[in-house]
Amino acid sequence: MTTSDYQAGYDGMDGRLTPAEVQAVTFRRSPLGRRGLDEEQVRAFLAQVEHELVRVLNEKAAMADEVSRLRRNGAQGTPVAPEDAHIQAVRILSRAQQTADQYVADAERYSRELAEDARRHRDEILADAKNRAVHVLEEAHQQAQAAASTVGRSAAPMTGEERHGLEREIAYLRTFADIYRTHLRSYLEALLRNVEEWERSERSNIEAGRADFRT
Amino acid sequence: MDAQRLKENFAQVAQHGDAVALFFYSDLFVRNPQLRDMFPIGMTQQRDRLLSALGRIVSDVDNLPDVVPFVQQLGRDHRKYGVLAEHFPEVGASLVATLRYFSGEGWTNELAADWEAAYTLVADVMKQAAEADAEQRPSWWKAQVVAHEQRRFDTAVLRVTTDPPLAYAPGQSVSVETPARPRMWRYYSMANAPRPDGTLDFHVRLIDGGPVSPVLVRALKVGDWLRLGPPVGLMTLDQNSGRDILLAGGGTGIAPLKALCEQIATRPDPPRVHLFFGARTADGLYDLADLDKRAAQWPWLTVVPAVSAPDGPGPLLAGDAAARAEQGDLADVIARSGDWSGHDAYVCGSPGMVDATTDRLTRLGLPRERIRFDKYAEA
Repeated sequence: MTTSDYQAGYDGMDGRLTPAEVQAVTFRRSPLGRRGLDEEQVRAFLAQVEHELVRVLNEKAAMADEVSRLRRNGAQGTPVAPEDAHIQAVRILSRAQQTADQYVADAERYSRELAEDARRHRDEILADAKNRAVHVLEEAHQQAQAAASTVGRSAAPMTGEERHGLEREIAYLRTFADIYRTHLRSYLEALLRNVEEWERSERSNIEAGRADFRT
Repeated sequence: MDAQRLKENFAQVAQHGDAVALFFYSDLFVRNPQLRDMFPIGMTQQRDRLLSALGRIVSDVDNLPDVVPFVQQLGRDHRKYGVLAEHFPEVGASLVATLRYFSGEGWTNELAADWEAAYTLVADVMKQAAEADAEQRPSWWKAQVVAHEQRRFDTAVLRVTTDPPLAYAPGQSVSVETPARPRMWRYYSMANAPRPDGTLDFHVRLIDGGPVSPVLVRALKVGDWLRLGPPVGLMTLDQNSGRDILLAGGGTGIAPLKALCEQIATRPDPPRVHLFFGARTADGLYDLADLDKRAAQWPWLTVVPAVSAPDGPGPLLAGDAAARAEQGDLADVIARSGDWSGHDAYVCGSPGMVDATTDRLTRLGLPRERIRFDKYAEA
């Protein structure tokens, strides 16, 4: 398309100016004696306009591609605008819930481990106390048996000195048993106090965390 | 409605597992933030329950006689959570949105219509059951603690009165909520047959790391309030059977069996009853003294204590209980104690104990349909 006239060219196809038209445009020379524009400057400006026009049209084509790509995606069922926002909100809430669930699970595991430790500790203390108690009883039993058999063996003739010795031993054992019983009792009572304190502190912890009843 | 299409779609969606329930609840709460308060902070269990209930309904969607009682029970159970008829459409919308999301390109208008029809059906059954239930009883009962006895550091026996009185059958249980742990309901069996004064006994064992049982065992005081849900459970007495009875309880599983004993005691001619009470160690036999008292009072009742770990940590000075107790797992002790093939059996305790005992009894010739049981959750 050649245009000899700038005005005509501008009114050409679709009324749109193309880069080719800018390149092909010619201007009438001004009559002799009249002042005209610098021809070089006009050509340079036209080249710049042509370049700019190419850039703008390329950009426009790229945008159109992007729009139709997005439209295609929308049509394929992946969520579009408002739906998309809703799904985003659902995802965010899901992540928050998972974090909360994780915290709750961690807290429960921690509390379970503490409780298991405490239970193990309690079992050990009880087993230990039970062993000691058994030990104390056995010892007392053995000594009493020894004393009894001594009495039995020397049943017949017994000098006053022997009897005196045995009576001393019986008195000793009686005292020994008394003391041991007292020790054992105070030991067990201390143990029970410990357990009760532990229970009390746990109870007050739980009560501290008590929430109001919603009705 | 095409049942097969629903099942296939659900099977495909359910492959995503926990993510499905996670999406469902998030979608529900984004659309209806006010509903979040009806649920506990931790939702892990809630999601498991939703998926298993949905699975159960969908797998039987073309078998209405089977699925309707289940759905009706769901409807009644949901009353105590404060679920109202107006919540159902919101739940339905989120359910369909979830199924659509996970179906991806497989989602069709036909599927959407099928799911909506199925949901409407289920929701209507739930709503009708809830409405019928509401005409007969409250959605929950207010209960006040009148006695709290700690039998061991990890076991308590508590007694409550309810307002209004709560009618139930011996052997049943109710869900319990404490104000200290709102929206966390746990099932406990009544340990007594209904009394004229309406009081209920519960036996609670502390579960390490559990959120609710430590409060009930160690923090609850006389005067405290609880909420109780409606009674549930099928381990009730077969009234028409003339057979003798075997009762097997592990730990606090003894509670509903005591209620059954009290009911049997009201019969003019009670059958012979053997009650096996199992624990790990002798001091776990926390209720033996009371059981003995009843055995002395009721000539038809024989109580057999059993411990599975006799050398484990026990009381400081081994008492009568340890000396008397049979040694071994409850199933073994029962198996060597007699011929049970002609009895009715009631078994309650941990899932492991219940499975082991019912398996053993059936192998010993006791028909499975004559065994009623109740498994305690361990969390």
